[in-house]
Amino acid sequence: MAALAWIEQTRLSLFVREDFYAYFVLLIFHAWGMALLVGGGVAVSLRVLGIASGARLERFRGFLPAMWLGAGLAVVSGLGLLAGYPAKALTNWVFALKFACLIGAAVLVARIAREVLARGEPVPPRGRLMAAAALALWLGGVACGKLLLYTNSILLTTD
Amino acid sequence: MVQDPIFDPVAILVWGIDAGVFDFMNSRWGWPIAEIVHFTGICLLIGAVGMFDLRMVGLVRGLSLKALHRLVPFGVLGFGLSAASGLMFVVAAPDQYLYNPAWQVKMALLAVAGLNMALFYLVASRRVALLGPDDSPPVAARLFAAVSLASWFGVIAAGRVITAFRPPSWFWCAWCA
Repeated sequence: MAALAWIEQTRLSLFVREDFYAYFVLLIFHAWGMALLVGGGVAVSLRVLGIASGARLERFRGFLPAMWLGAGLAVVSGLGLLAGYPAKALTNWVFALKFACLIGAAVLVARIAREVLARGEPVPPRGRLMAAAALALWLGGVACGKLLLYTNSILLTTD
Repeated sequence: MVQDPIFDPVAILVWGIDAGVFDFMNSRWGWPIAEIVHFTGICLLIGAVGMFDLRMVGLVRGLSLKALHRLVPFGVLGFGLSAASGLMFVVAAPDQYLYNPAWQVKMALLAVAGLNMALFYLVASRRVALLGPDDSPPVAARLFAAVSLASWFGVIAAGRVITAFRPPSWFWCAWCA
């Protein structure tokens, strides 16, 4: 808690809380990043599951840079949001669950890229399983992210 | 008091109460559930339509657009989820949305996205369907894709700041008397 209280007094933290635009600009970038990251993840999963099977499997690697861009936007803006209200997120188990989902999904996508997209057809049964799990984890991460606004017990350490 | 000749927020709210939407949205998990559905729908939309657009604009190559178009029904599903949950927000608190600058901009961008899509299917989709996986789409198609991406990401941005422009602090009603 002492560390969180210290973060709350940093200039960045105060700026995120007190500037009218900062918080909303961060929210916009976070939503853009998550939509790109999860959107790309959805497209890759659907393809591995057999949707749009006429489109070349290997070339779905082409969507990975969009997902990296999304991840970069989401992480940087997310760190900004976290700097503003560290105690709100870090005392909430839903925040941990969000990260479990997203890290799990990212690990699965990395494996799908190596073991499925790079090798091309046919998709191994394990590939489909990984794609289905990644899809579920992406959407679980989104759900947890949305729940953060409703499940926090405190906003600041001074609460 | 301004007179709104088009929308009747009170009537919408009464309808929402009668239909049970108001009670659901104000229950413990109603609003969060609708928000989860709303953003899940947006992710499906970007996953299908956004990725199709990335290929069509030329940032992703080597994929047949005709084959990739099979993803689009998932985008339609996503749009349906977002539209339905979005309608529930509006019905549960009409005055917070109808006169909100950010929401109005969001609806305008939604109209741009819709019109752009309609024009794409009318004007360019047939030629795009004939392209091979390595062909570059014609300029018109790339333009449609760019407008689509810009308007959908604009929709996301405007939606994200709706809470920053809440009436009565903010109140836009160009059509009011």
